[in-house]
Amino acid sequence: MAWDELLRFLRGPMFYAALVFFLFGMFFRLFRVVLLGWQRDRVPSKGSKIGGVVITYLKSILILPFIPWVKLTFNKNALTYVAGGVFHLSLFGIIFFGAPHMLVWKSILGFGWPTLPAPYVDWLAAIGIISLVALLINRLVHPVLKKITRTADWFNWTIVFLPFITGYVMSRHLWFEYQAAFSLHMIAVDLLLIWIPLSRISHFMLYFFSRTIHGAQFGKRAVTP
Amino acid sequence: MAEKTIYQHLKEEGVSRREFMKFCGLLAGLMGVEFSPPVKALGAVAGPSPEKMVADALKSKPRVPIIWLELQDCAGCTEAISRSWSPSLVKLVLNKIALDYQETLMAAAGFQAEEAKKEAMEKYKGKYVLVVEGSPAIGEDQVFCTIGGRGNIDLLNEAAEGAAAIIATGNCAAFGGIPKANPNPTNARGVWEVITSKPVLNIPGCPAIPEVTTGTIVYFLVMGKLPEMDSLNRPMTFYGHTIHDHCLRRPFYDAGKYADSFDDDGARAGHCLYKLGCKGPTTYNACSSLKWYQGLSFPVQSNHPCLACSQPNFWDGGGFYQGQSAPLNRPDLAAFGIAAGAGAAVGVALAGANSINKKRAEHESKKEK
Repeated sequence: MAWDELLRFLRGPMFYAALVFFLFGMFFRLFRVVLLGWQRDRVPSKGSKIGGVVITYLKSILILPFIPWVKLTFNKNALTYVAGGVFHLSLFGIIFFGAPHMLVWKSILGFGWPTLPAPYVDWLAAIGIISLVALLINRLVHPVLKKITRTADWFNWTIVFLPFITGYVMSRHLWFEYQAAFSLHMIAVDLLLIWIPLSRISHFMLYFFSRTIHGAQFGKRAVTP
Repeated sequence: MAEKTIYQHLKEEGVSRREFMKFCGLLAGLMGVEFSPPVKALGAVAGPSPEKMVADALKSKPRVPIIWLELQDCAGCTEAISRSWSPSLVKLVLNKIALDYQETLMAAAGFQAEEAKKEAMEKYKGKYVLVVEGSPAIGEDQVFCTIGGRGNIDLLNEAAEGAAAIIATGNCAAFGGIPKANPNPTNARGVWEVITSKPVLNIPGCPAIPEVTTGTIVYFLVMGKLPEMDSLNRPMTFYGHTIHDHCLRRPFYDAGKYADSFDDDGARAGHCLYKLGCKGPTTYNACSSLKWYQGLSFPVQSNHPCLACSQPNFWDGGGFYQGQSAPLNRPDLAAFGIAAGAGAAVGVALAGANSINKKRAEHESKKEK
């Protein structure tokens, strides 16, 4: 009885509350960042800012993921680059093309799309889990990373890791009965939704803003004050 | 004269010994009685065979009457039983062995029927099996369900008092079922929430699988005790696995092949119905192994997703055709708008306050210069 009721709560009111909090928090973050203040161009720019934005996006989509040595991170710490990249790919693959996740999107957005076969999604999850573990070990042994890691970073790692591992356990039917695994996965997901706006995981949205600002700056051809 | 045993009773009803032994084998199979694996592996059969064990029990035990109460129900469980695939089994169990009071099936009506029940309850006090179909309604002083002018809770308590075992058949009796669905106007409950003094064995389902009901009743007749139960008081023999565990479409689930609608190529090819709202992974029942109508089919085989009818609150467990992973309540736009708007407003307000502070600081630093 307990698992069933817990699951109903986690899939129902708790998910709803987490989602509403997530939206509230993300809009708050967004407006805070956008309204931090914009610097006026004191000198007219000779280059194209929009061109700069386009180039920086093309670079980050087409070049940085596929030609590693362009990126400084790869030359300095290849593991961060490879594991980080693979982790993000696996994350996107799972949350957009895993059938159960697509059904969540469908219930919220009102439309669905084709999904990947379950074994592919399972492999993606396994790869994501392995890369997360690799990143954790890297963080534990890397002399610089060790120094700059704070409590929030460990928390970030845990909160991102939990949905992965519980989701994998659930979809592979390991150890727990299905409702229990489902409940654990939902706890992890609800936690993640609440934690995102409070943490650096909000980079999933803010990344695009920083990328745009950087692009515009790079496109400028003028003396910057 | 000593009380007639079940076997003697069956013999009088014209059941031959051959039929009786077949019946015992079937029952042993249904009840999950078998040799322990080491005994089987050795090939050395020690002790009686399962069917003989059942036969011995039925030969030596007296007839046990069943009183079948119907509360807030559609009589669907009775319908299912009367159309069961194993008419010999169900007929034997319910018509010939035991059934003493069943409002839908009995010929008697009115005072005559109530009299028969009273008589059976007195005669077999402490021995009869009480089967309940339908949910008790405790709301508004029991006015929503009365039989012969008496409230259903009173009738239930009265029948439960002298019962040797109480079996709740169907989701309504087990967990409140459809009458309990939101907003539950009659304040319906599961029987086990009303009768707490004795264990109530639940056989949920909408309807309950007839072989499971009769198999459990016979288990009690043969063993003299209720079978092993799970946390929801369901017999482990029949509710030990999920629909998903034994589903014939499971390979398609594992391979990630789904039907996207009821009439696409996937559906025609018999692919998994998960995307069409199948609740098989969280539903414990024997449908996918025992099946219905002589093992002919069950909902998933007939191209319909499982509705989770053997689980508590299945009627309020999200849309029947909505994927199980989807959130239970569809979030509405207004709530999203309010959340987003509130977030934006707080963000703007804070940014405004910051900008005022900044200007003031700049102004003051200029003044100092």
